Parts: sequence; C-alpha cells; structure tokens
Amino acid sequence: MQADRRRINAPSGGTAPPIFATPKDTPLRRPTRTRKPDEHRKLFLRTGVVPSASGSAYYEIPLQSPQQPELLVPSSSSLKITCSVHGPRPLPRNAAFSPNLLLTTHVKFAPFATRNRRGYMRDAGERDLGMHLETALRGVIIGERWPKSGCEVVITVLEGEEDGWWGDAGGQEGGRAGGWGMMGVLAGCITVASAALVDAGIDCVDMVSGGVAALVQDGQDGTKVGGEAKIILDPSPSEHQNIRAGCVVGYLQSRDEVTEMWMKGDAGTQVEALVDEAVKAASLTRTVLAEAVREAMGLKMGKASEEATGGLKEDKGKKKDVVMTG
Amino acid sequence: MSHSTIALPGQSLGPTSANNLGAGTHIHNSTLIASLAGPLTTTPSTTKATKHPTLSIPRATGPLLPETGTVVLGKITRTNPRQANLSILALGPTGAHPVAGGDAFPAVIRQQDIRATEIDKVKVGESFRVGDVVRAVVISLGDERSYYCSTAKNELGVVMARSEGGVGEQMVPVSWREFMDPVTGVRELRKVAKPI
Repeated sequence: MQADRRRINAPSGGTAPPIFATPKDTPLRRPTRTRKPDEHRKLFLRTGVVPSASGSAYYEIPLQSPQQPELLVPSSSSLKITCSVHGPRPLPRNAAFSPNLLLTTHVKFAPFATRNRRGYMRDAGERDLGMHLETALRGVIIGERWPKSGCEVVITVLEGEEDGWWGDAGGQEGGRAGGWGMMGVLAGCITVASAALVDAGIDCVDMVSGGVAALVQDGQDGTKVGGEAKIILDPSPSEHQNIRAGCVVGYLQSRDEVTEMWMKGDAGTQVEALVDEAVKAASLTRTVLAEAVREAMGLKMGKASEEATGGLKEDKGKKKDVVMTG
Repeated sequence: MSHSTIALPGQSLGPTSANNLGAGTHIHNSTLIASLAGPLTTTPSTTKATKHPTLSIPRATGPLLPETGTVVLGKITRTNPRQANLSILALGPTGAHPVAGGDAFPAVIRQQDIRATEIDKVKVGESFRVGDVVRAVVISLGDERSYYCSTAKNELGVVMARSEGGVGEQMVPVSWREFMDPVTGVRELRKVAKPI
C-alpha cells in the first residue's frame, strides 16, 4: 500500500491508546432540552481572528446542559466553526475573464471534529455543505463591484454537531441516521461566513444569517413513538430521539429574502410552519451577528482615530465578546 | 463631512429622493441601503443641480482593488519594446495599502503611457528595467488579465532602482531621466519619479 508521504504518520507498530473506562453500571442519561421550543442556544461570535486573512470570524455554540460528572465524554456536542475570507484577489493566470466576483467556498471538518474521525480529504458531505454555503452567500454579495477578481471562503469546523446521541444503539455509533447534525453546521457556516465577509469589507446587500428548525416527535421515557409532534428552533440532535424533519435557511432579514433553503425528512403538512420557524431562528442569530460586527467596527474606528491622533498603539486584535440568548 | 453612527450592511439609510448614492451603498426599492459596515459619512452637496447630501461608507480596510485613477506602487517584472509588465504590490501613493495575501495584480505600462511629452521617442528599455519599483496611476481596468497603468506625470515613474553593473547598488535619482550609482558613479536612464 502506498504510504501517505505528506503527513507525519503514526508508527507502524501501533500504539495502545489509553482507555478511560467508566463503571459498567453507570446510568446513561440522554441530554434533555431545557430551553423553550422557540429559544435559541447561546452563541458566541467574534470577527478578525485570523490576522493574515482579509476577513475572518469564529462562531461557537458552547455546551449547554450540565454534564454527567461520572462520564468523561460530554453527552451532547457543541459547535465550533472558524471562517477566513481571502480576497478579493486577482484571478489565476489560466482563468477566463469574469466581470463579477468569483466566489469559491470550502468547508472542511477537522479530523477531530466529530466522534467519527474525519479524513483529510474533503468528502461528499463536506462538498455538499460547501455548495449550500455558496448558494447562500452568492445572493448577498454585490459581485459587479469586483471585476476580474475571486474570493475564497474557507471554513474549518473544529467541532461539529453530532447526528444523534452517542448513547443510542448501545454505545455503537448509533443514532447517526439522518445527518441532522449537518443542518446545524450549515446554519453556523452561513452566519460565520457572513461575519467574515463583512469583516473583509466585501460589499453585501445584507447580512445573511443561518437558522435551523426541526419537527420532532419524541416519545415519553426514551421511546421513539407516541409523542406529540412539535416544531422547535435550533435543535440539538442529541436531545431528541425522533427528529422527523429539519430545515435550514439562509435569511436576509432587512430584505425579507431567503437565499438558501435545505429541507430534509417528512414534514407532512407542516412544511411552511417549519420554514417560518427556521426563518425565526435566523432572525435571532442575526441579532448576535449585527452586534458582533458593530462592536468590531467600533473597535476598528477607535483604533483608527487613536492612530490619527498619534496615540499609543494598543493590542492589534479587533476583539469583542458577544454572548446572548435567543 | 460628518461621522455619526455605524451602518451595517442591509441597513436602510433613507429614500433616494432625499439622498445621493455614495461609495459603500446601493439602491433597493428606491431606498438607499448600506452595503458595508462602517461609519456613515454625509457629504453636503456642492453643486447647485442636486441639493441632496451624498451618503457613503468608507471601507475600514482601505481600498481592496485598483480602480481607474488609483495611484499604485509596483515592481517591473519584464519589459519589451512595446510595454513593460508591472506587478501591483500596494495601493496608494506611499503604498499604504499592501495587496493582501501576496497576490500581486498584474498590470501593463504601454510605451505611449510612459511619458507625457515626445511619446514617440520614448524607449521602454531606457525607462524601466526589471526589478524597478514604480509609482504609477491606473488608467483603465485593462484587458482580461492586466490593468493598464501610466507614468505620464512628473511625480510618477521609477522610485527605487538598483544598478545594472557591479553589485546592484541602490541608486539615487540625479535628474528627470537619470539614476546614479553612488559607489561607481555610473548613470542609468530611467523614467524618474519626482521625489516627494
């Protein structure tokens, strides 16, 4: 077999990884949703994290519920995404003339992003996310203002949302069916890319924000059936046994336009209600996005006026924390 | 000009009937909308034809792409009898805005754009050499690849050059068409930018 010569490979003999065992009789408790159905998780957004990029942003949904102290592994997942925007830059020599900005998007999960280790190469799911993200962003960028140039949006998912609770299916990587985690990741990608684009100073018609809603039908005490179907904002897939349908939108609030929609599952007659809830989630995310951008801009302006008056040079980062509830 | 609040992309700035379109804004449904994040700047009208103020949003990062009229700094990458090729490395007359990520914009200075006078007697080889740092103005967005630049002004032309022979010493401008090597005293022909 051809060895991978581009990376530092593990020793051929193999190593014994440490095993952190918990007692066999440890009860596993499924994380439960403690927030209201129309409440978004708290999220954190900061722009200007990568100095070498034209624009960048970092997005995080921290761990929510209190964790079981006897377990070493968190029972639900958090979401951590970084985005860097390179451009507008001249097109490569062999590219054809373009009167508009050529947008390319790359979404990559870090190998350690999910419980199932990801490969180094982009797989089909990551390419799919990239395409969805491109559609979402294409509708906001004013491309005519950037002739003969390209712009690259590179997203690295440092921690991705799981598709289900790992305690399902007897500790196997069960509950993975559906790919619901990808929907939360896409919504995060849209929001973080939007912040990074604004940070890069690329003209946009609006700030696009991503939102997810899901139709869940959880039964009582861990059964899959019998529950009442309801629509929730910003689902965390590990908190639900039975997600029936999900919807992600990329939404422009001030124009009331949707640039991207991805729906999955069987929502039955509640399709429109589901989209409406996803739009509501996107509107909630936008408040954080606007606040993050505004604070970053305020810091940039403060720095500029300080330099103009010959003041002392402060820390270079345009940093700010925004934490808010939905 | 007055700074007031920070505008965000998508924010409505007022009807087009009362405001003029400036940089960093666009029109949607006959309303002026911000397309950049930054301080909203209002410039009162100076002409009598329109009484409305112009709303614009300056880019916090400075200019990103060369436009017609932008003064740029670049390096000559190759010359031939008809034109000199230039890599634009920074925007602004003093290079205040380096091109991000090291992707230089390709540009061309044609023979007829080198000097303002006696255009037909200009020789590219007696104006530029490969490696010279040149201040130029963008006169057109050019063809599919290169921007078109001109040095036909006193303050435009070669600002830094190294001598051809010897050790490639940094030269000093001594006249409007000559640089001199301070060590060997050899003079070389260039389109010299007037020092500012």
